[in-house]
Amino acid sequence: MRTTYRVLAWILAVEVVVQAAAIAWALFGLSAWIESGGVLDAAAMQAEPQFDGVVGFMVHGLNGTMIVPAVALLLLVVSFFARLTRGVAFAAALFLMVVAQVLLGMFAHAIPSLGMLHGALALAILVTAVMSARLTPAQRPVEAPSAAVV
Amino acid sequence: MLRARRRSWRLGRSWRTRAGGPRRRALIAVVAALVVIAPIAWMWIDSQMPSSYSVEDMGTPDLGGGPGMDHAGMAGMTGTAVDQLREPPGPADVDVTLTARAGRVTLPSGRVVDGYTLNGTTPGPEIRAVQGQMVQVRLVNENVAEGVTLHWHGYDVPAGDDGVAGVTQDAVGPGGSFVYRFRADQVGTFWYHSHQVADPQVKGGLFGALVVTPRDGLGDTADVTVMTHNYAGRRTVNGLEGDVPAAGAPGQRVRVRVVNTDNGPVQVWVGGAPYRLAALDGTDVNGPTPSTDSLPVTAGGRADLEIDLPADGAGVRVELGGASAVTFGRPLPPTPRPAGELDPLRYGSPAALPFDPAAADRRFDYVIGRRLGFLDGTPGMWWTVNGHLWPDVPMYVVREGDVVRMHIENGSGELHPMHLHGHHAVVLARDGVPATGSPWWSDSLDVQDGHSYDIAFVADNPGLWMDHCHNLAHPSEGLMAHLMYEGVTTPYRVGGDPHNDPE
Repeated sequence: MRTTYRVLAWILAVEVVVQAAAIAWALFGLSAWIESGGVLDAAAMQAEPQFDGVVGFMVHGLNGTMIVPAVALLLLVVSFFARLTRGVAFAAALFLMVVAQVLLGMFAHAIPSLGMLHGALALAILVTAVMSARLTPAQRPVEAPSAAVV
Repeated sequence: MLRARRRSWRLGRSWRTRAGGPRRRALIAVVAALVVIAPIAWMWIDSQMPSSYSVEDMGTPDLGGGPGMDHAGMAGMTGTAVDQLREPPGPADVDVTLTARAGRVTLPSGRVVDGYTLNGTTPGPEIRAVQGQMVQVRLVNENVAEGVTLHWHGYDVPAGDDGVAGVTQDAVGPGGSFVYRFRADQVGTFWYHSHQVADPQVKGGLFGALVVTPRDGLGDTADVTVMTHNYAGRRTVNGLEGDVPAAGAPGQRVRVRVVNTDNGPVQVWVGGAPYRLAALDGTDVNGPTPSTDSLPVTAGGRADLEIDLPADGAGVRVELGGASAVTFGRPLPPTPRPAGELDPLRYGSPAALPFDPAAADRRFDYVIGRRLGFLDGTPGMWWTVNGHLWPDVPMYVVREGDVVRMHIENGSGELHPMHLHGHHAVVLARDGVPATGSPWWSDSLDVQDGHSYDIAFVADNPGLWMDHCHNLAHPSEGLMAHLMYEGVTTPYRVGGDPHNDPE
């Protein structure tokens, strides 16, 4: 279970990197497409224009709303069995951060300044995931031998 | 007392540290895991839909403060079936056969895409009728595996001809056909499109224009239909890309009928001459005045622009989102979008309404939100109606002749072009600010995030009608409800053998 916990935590960390890479690819692709004559308005946006990098938007959306939350949820469940020092606390924090991140991603479309928190929280998730992956096993409760004998 | 507490602490400690320790830990872990997983699993199971269901059984009846439902209207009881609500057979003035095909499609621009055609073209043939004529359209499905239907968007047809798979008919499978009949009573610009697996089929081109002209014609006015559509991400006008020249003599008046067939709004503005917004959603605007503002055309909506072409033959451009344009006269370079936006709430002159919205028989709320959850077993951020996820959405129940008011509110973070089938509603207010212009009759209304609309209509077309978002990706994400007339039932089911899937 400890190994599972660590693997899931590393996956979560790698996922943050994938998310950052995908959205950067998409945004550069979008600006290149507009520079070369593409026109983006609400109708075009809904009709999925084709350009190098558009896949980045899809990866970011699907990954961020499905795979990342699923991994965070699994990590939380596994944490109950993994017996790592503060393993549950870290997994729960990660899960809550991921939920907040998904909500920020949704509502930043209406309030763009939330995007700044979305970007910052991504780094916090990355750091917390790496710390989780490096947690040490919980100390077994010491059975004080003298006390037990007496 | 103190001793007792100490004793129990000792007992507890020894239980935890000796034989029971690991077992207890495991138990706590299992319970914790269940606490996390069980509610999610329950929500997942609870959200799953049967393989076929009747929309009559969908959602919670909402009477809007009106009288209760007649038992004849309840699911499974007898009432008037929606397929009885049709024009009787007979001769037709406009008789068209449309054959649907799926495959590689060559657009009028020459570009080849995967999509659909009607009679070999996309957009499909324009259907034109004169007011009062009987229109009959035979839809034939040549090879569209998932089936097709035709919905008459904005036309208040009899319910049995509304073309919604699983609600008013079964999807027409390959080799099958269906005949639609309706009287062309409404004058204006409309369109037809498939309402079976609607999002991919409409995106792929299964649509066309429906134009009904007045009995005494349009006089000397030139008439241009402009269907904007993104095929595989490419903006087109009637299937053509870039600047599309149209017929119109210098000094002539032209009526440009813009039909937005996409899933998002298109900004339309005119360079080189002012325009009048002559009609919105197939209904004439009262007292339109010249404007040079940009006009947002709702997804699924229509706007008729009247332009007097300059007598000297100078160029005029009807710009469609800045991506393409319909051009008249001498060449004119693209024009930037004007800063001002035409607001139909304040445009034109007021006129009396044919009914009194203050004397409403029913008042409904259609509050759009969004939250995490499961939709038919799939996790995601789904739309909610009045706080609940589909299918736990309201079933708006009305009685024929009711004056109905609806408060539409959008707090979902995204724009929704709301489309009520079979009726035209008048906009009373936006964000509580009353309309002061021409009566604004709409069938496709953009409700921006953070805004609300109050609309009213007369329940004068018995049936079972969809009331959904016309960003066609959204109904399948839960943004869909129905308006049900008391006593009207449907023999059709969503799912089942015909694979009815109206979204």
